[in-house]
Amino acid sequence: MSRLRMRDVTRLFAGGAGVREIDLVVEPGQIHALVGLNGAGKTTIMRLALGMLRPDAGEVAIDDEPLGRRAPALWARVGHLVETPLAYGELTGLGNLEIGARLHGAGRRGSAIARAALAEFGLEAYRDVPVRRLSLGNRQRVGIASALQHDPALAVLDEPTNALDPSGVIRVREALLRRADAGAGLLISSHHLDEVARIAHRITVVNRGRIIGTLDPAGRDLERELFEALHADDVATGAAA
Amino acid sequence: MNALGVAIRVEARKARAARPVLATSVLFAGGLLALAIGMTLAASSGRPELVGKLGPLADARGWELYLGVAIQVAGAAGLLATGVVLAYLVGREFGDGTIAGLFALPVPRAVILAAKVVVFLAWSLVLALAVGLAVLLGGLALGLEGQPGDVAAALVRLVALVPLSALTAVPVALAASLGRGLLPGIGLAVVLLAAAQVAVVAGAGPWFPVATGALWAIDPAAVPPLAFLPAVTLPVAAGLVSARVWSRLQLDR
Repeated sequence: MSRLRMRDVTRLFAGGAGVREIDLVVEPGQIHALVGLNGAGKTTIMRLALGMLRPDAGEVAIDDEPLGRRAPALWARVGHLVETPLAYGELTGLGNLEIGARLHGAGRRGSAIARAALAEFGLEAYRDVPVRRLSLGNRQRVGIASALQHDPALAVLDEPTNALDPSGVIRVREALLRRADAGAGLLISSHHLDEVARIAHRITVVNRGRIIGTLDPAGRDLERELFEALHADDVATGAAA
Repeated sequence: MNALGVAIRVEARKARAARPVLATSVLFAGGLLALAIGMTLAASSGRPELVGKLGPLADARGWELYLGVAIQVAGAAGLLATGVVLAYLVGREFGDGTIAGLFALPVPRAVILAAKVVVFLAWSLVLALAVGLAVLLGGLALGLEGQPGDVAAALVRLVALVPLSALTAVPVALAASLGRGLLPGIGLAVVLLAAAQVAVVAGAGPWFPVATGALWAIDPAAVPPLAFLPAVTLPVAAGLVSARVWSRLQLDR
């Protein structure tokens, strides 16, 4: 069983942008990274994986269950942060984590889960502070904690280390690795190739709305390999400037 | 707890902590009380230019005048105040970008929208009781004269008018959902208010759904019970369509 499977997924927007023929699998225990330039289609792929967009063609399945037929309760096994953290300015750090846990079906355990997440992500100091007073990075930390605190089987995180300070990056890295070790599948996107190399088991390159190949996480110079792949694709498709 | 119960708890918590909801409540209740007291004091001083502006209330005195002004103000300002709050509750998810976090949850988005409307209507009841109490205490402090039975009936109509205005404002949720933000919702609230005023002046009267509640509160005898049918049908339909919009929503723009 794969945590996430996208098969031949196409979704185009007015004007021709979008993603085409996406085939992607996230296995249990795997951190799968999407890399590519701005506007390549990484976020669109993640939105399709989470039902924020419906494909024009192809199929998305989580835990082998196609999205269209998925019972609402099964979404309790998914966590995500795409673009904006689910963090309301008027609620405190703890308050935001509590509602995040409850919305993910935690029920009475919501409060205990939220308190544990405060500790895991180093947010104790912001327990009673309204999130509108937090820095961008700490708001991001609250969002990541909210996405991961209920130990989802699949987590989809768009630029998870965005705006984080070095200690936040380490916290999030460890949290991701712990969950992968426990069998979760994680789909992340990132511009930080060093960070990707540290944690990803598989790296998929996205260019101009298509998947054009993979990079070896153990490779010596990921940046160079990425640009070589992008350039080769642009030449092959006649898109090079 | 079922999905609706979870969503209502979450939405209630957000609304309780939200400054725009508190600020609108205080402005509405405070403004209404100040206007009712001010107009009553001014009319009792016998200034003809003011008395002339009171229209059907020109001959009223004491509690009748005071509560009459409060009901007139609540009829207009209530629609705007409740519309603004509903526009905030729904539109802020789009404005703040938090709508993305409301996908891929075991609580369906249509249920979250329903919870917002439930919390909104519950808030309007609390606001109505607070306004009723404030107006009652204000009137007692002024030492107004009137028949206790009439005073109680008018006070009940004032309290009922606030949730009726909130119900009338439910289409604002649809505007905020389709327009994906606060401003389309607030815009519709203003349009509803203007439409109600024009309809009353033009004589469309109680059968125009946006005006039914306010006209009933001013003069119950002028509104046949059946006139409430369109007044209730419209918001229920708007609520159902809004839930459908949330259910089918895609983050494609």
